[in-house]
Amino acid sequence: MLDDGVKAELDYHALNAMLNLYDGEGRIRFDADRKAARQYFLQHVNQNTVFFHSLDEKLGYLVDEGYYEAEVLDQYPRAFLHRIWDAAYARKFRFPTFLGAFKYYTSYTLKTRDGRRYLERYEDRVVMVALALARGDEDLAMRFMEEILSGRFQPATPTFLNAGKKSRGELISCFLLRLEDNMESIGRGINSALQLSKRGGGVALMLTNLREAGAPIKGIENQSSGVIPVMKLLEDSFSYANQLGARQGAGAVYLNAHHPDILRFLDTKRENADEKIRIKTLSLGVVIPDVTFELAKKNEDMYLFSPHDVEKVYGMAFSEISVTEKYAEMVDDKRIRKKKINARAFFQTLAEIQFESGYPYIMFEDTVNRANPVAGRISMSNLCSEILQVNEASTFDEDLSYRHLGTDISCNLGSLNIAATMDGPDFGATVEAAIRALTAVSEMSAIEAVPSIRRGNDEAHAVGLGQMNLHGFLARERIHYGSPEGIEFTSVYFAAVAYHAIRASNLLAQEKGRSFKDFETSKYADGTFFDKYVTRDWLPTLPDVARVFEGVALPTREDWAALRDAVMRHGLYNRNLQAVPPTGSISYINNSTSSIHPIVAKIEIRKEGKIGRVYYPAAFMSNENLDYYRDAYEIGPEAIIDTYAAATEHVDQGLSLTLFFPAEATTRDINRAQIHAWKKGIKTIYYIRLRQTALEGTEVQGCVSCTL
Amino acid sequence: MKDHAPRTPLRAINWNRLEDEKDLEVWNRLTVNFWLPEKVPLSNDVQSWATLRPEERELTIRVFTGLTLLDTIQNTLGAPAMMPDAITPHEEAVLSNIAFMEAVHARSYSSIFSTLCLTPEVDAAFRWAEENPHLQQKARLVLEEYKAGSDPLKRKIASVFLESFLFYSGFYLPMYWSSRAKLTNTADLIRLIIRDEAVHGYYIGYKYQRGLERLGEAERAALKDFAFSLIFDLYDVEAKYTAELYDGIGLTEDVKAFLHYNANKALQNLGYEALFPPQACEVNPAILAALSPDSENHDFFSGSGSSYVIGKAVATEDEDWDF
Repeated sequence: MLDDGVKAELDYHALNAMLNLYDGEGRIRFDADRKAARQYFLQHVNQNTVFFHSLDEKLGYLVDEGYYEAEVLDQYPRAFLHRIWDAAYARKFRFPTFLGAFKYYTSYTLKTRDGRRYLERYEDRVVMVALALARGDEDLAMRFMEEILSGRFQPATPTFLNAGKKSRGELISCFLLRLEDNMESIGRGINSALQLSKRGGGVALMLTNLREAGAPIKGIENQSSGVIPVMKLLEDSFSYANQLGARQGAGAVYLNAHHPDILRFLDTKRENADEKIRIKTLSLGVVIPDVTFELAKKNEDMYLFSPHDVEKVYGMAFSEISVTEKYAEMVDDKRIRKKKINARAFFQTLAEIQFESGYPYIMFEDTVNRANPVAGRISMSNLCSEILQVNEASTFDEDLSYRHLGTDISCNLGSLNIAATMDGPDFGATVEAAIRALTAVSEMSAIEAVPSIRRGNDEAHAVGLGQMNLHGFLARERIHYGSPEGIEFTSVYFAAVAYHAIRASNLLAQEKGRSFKDFETSKYADGTFFDKYVTRDWLPTLPDVARVFEGVALPTREDWAALRDAVMRHGLYNRNLQAVPPTGSISYINNSTSSIHPIVAKIEIRKEGKIGRVYYPAAFMSNENLDYYRDAYEIGPEAIIDTYAAATEHVDQGLSLTLFFPAEATTRDINRAQIHAWKKGIKTIYYIRLRQTALEGTEVQGCVSCTL
Repeated sequence: MKDHAPRTPLRAINWNRLEDEKDLEVWNRLTVNFWLPEKVPLSNDVQSWATLRPEERELTIRVFTGLTLLDTIQNTLGAPAMMPDAITPHEEAVLSNIAFMEAVHARSYSSIFSTLCLTPEVDAAFRWAEENPHLQQKARLVLEEYKAGSDPLKRKIASVFLESFLFYSGFYLPMYWSSRAKLTNTADLIRLIIRDEAVHGYYIGYKYQRGLERLGEAERAALKDFAFSLIFDLYDVEAKYTAELYDGIGLTEDVKAFLHYNANKALQNLGYEALFPPQACEVNPAILAALSPDSENHDFFSGSGSSYVIGKAVATEDEDWDF
């Protein structure tokens, strides 16, 4: 029926949807999607773009009308502006997929205030981002423009969306706040969540320190209502604060597995949960220490400890204590109220909830802290489970002013397109430019509304350089995702990125004459961080891997030793350097496969509030190389975990790792994957995703994403 | 209640003695697919709802009211009426699940209404549904066959047409909106309903075909005649209903292609050949592709998706904790 060729009169949505329906010979219609992209420009974009006769007219108008920030342009001579714009347009950028173009024009580009007409093309956005981040440095601006427009470096959404615009949200993506066990901290936390949400960030809050339901308040028993009502308050706050309706506020909460409210916390995501306790839009994360695994191995009960009592006994918050280390001691301490549940039953419940909702995320607490090179404890992650940094509690006076200003966490992200970076002229220069761009975002941000975030950012200049298009690159090079070659590539690539990221941060420390706060007590300062790089090689051994690295200069042990010495002498400017986010939107614009995941389907069905249902072909895929595009469900959790483990080794923060199962899987399969991940040194697990195949006889015929 | 001869012992259902494996397969599928409307964050569609023009909003409410009526019929009359015809006790159990889920569907539309619409708008639409001759007529055509005393297989024919054909003039609209980036969470919920209805129509059609196997040539031919004449009648009403609803926004031709496509699917469920030629079934690819809930990749922060299921719990064993 629908196989009679691609008709010209179809609109672009229909053309794009044809990607998901095979043609008469059972081939995927990539041409329909390319036509959709072209038609989108012809039928929609070109007609709705405001026309200017010259660059000067355009910039004059955009500044006068208050669309562009004059300060950004004023840092550069007019002649340079002409040069950079000419250079950008000379590259003749084209969107290869419909979704890339559609996503860019619906969500990123500058529009007139009524939202009807476009004021920027893709090149304009790239140049404005480069100019804003280079802060007047012409060479750097040119480098940023080259890196972004060539697709090698892609700043995260908040930066790419906002930089250079006059009325805009923040450039930073992601915030992490800790809550302490008092009303002032909870109230201030909710206010901070509102403020940060309004500015467009995703916010995660740690609830581990809040006393459990039934705990005493001022010595009177059975008074506290526990963490659930706080979650409700947060959920409502996030739905209230959205960026001028641009994007729904989003939040996550983390709780330690040994918190007494843990089962209630999980039950909020049950299919049949009561409305009063059901949590629909807040994301959940569970922090699991090693001891929980040990107890489950022995099939014993696990004790849950009242945070209120723990704090009284140890004089510090529950989250500051290693549960693994103090477990036996706390079990024996009469002063700490506790209850117990079976450890294996806990893991099973976790998997049941993941089946129903995809949540919770998991953070393996001890793995994370062992790998942390800087002083302090990591007790939570963020909305995408890739940020792992230390924080410090604040205390408040009764009027909610700070008695002691602690630090909270922010992180700005950006990702390299692995394929474009490997193809690029200078691997090290690309990584360095990316670190410089991310550092600029950190330096340009000062969130006054949340002083603990501001202090954290000022002291740490933490950034998160991510990666995307791993599967696309491997498939293009005819290497299977998860194969020994695929895993070795990942290891060598990430080691090289780590080297250049540290090198760049060291250069920044030399230029600026200072390091992040507490550098002196870090494993960088005493050189131990570098032990594993100077005692063995991280270079290709397999021929196929050596082949793809031909022409790329990889760091040797000697290079690493020299870097160690430079770092020990001059320090590092950024406390954190790498974090691998899930990359949704930006990987579509960048024509990449998401993050370092395998693809979810050959033709991905993408749905979002703002863009509806759109279809996206995996990068570099054609009807000839489909074999290399096995999807995540076919590849299975083990190979994904092994690939991530190879990358994790070289990433100082975390990586968003989603696991994929067929709907016929059981909770035991999920548990086994979690155990495997923990054994392999994975730091966090993001979503669990399920795929149910249509019952035979009820499927949509000829649909690409429905077939296995 | 069934009439039992006084000596017939009452028999408990034994799921370990299956007469038809399909019963268990479908039962399992239906139970893992269990859902309630509360899981879908419909309130995320409030802003999107406000961007619809008044006539588009009215159309949407009317479409959903029409769907509510069909689900109500299937819940209270259709599925229960088929239970006494069941050949196996397991079939009865599956039908009771179908009946319940139809009630959930009917309930879901009210969740959409209470989240997005004002009470007077909804009341007006329910009044419209009572007064709309085409809607009433198509409901009556189906109900005629559900009546006690009518042929059990004819009941199944009517039921398959309802599940696999009559719903789709309504399902078209939310799929259309979602392909235009509107009401995407509502579309998620409707997709959950479609996921269920697809299994219902398939299962009842399957049972119909099993029933047919016991009949002689002449009876089979008579039933086939009946099925085709019923779908003609229903199509006739459905075409008018569609025109009345969709003429205003100029989508009638498109919806009709979708009706043809689904009429063919309904006949296929009964084991019959297609009625409409392929040229008449050229559904807008955006709608067709939108029907599949499988492996959709969504941004979790703005919706819950339609692919999660209730999992099978299996305890871990010692060998799993090998470290």
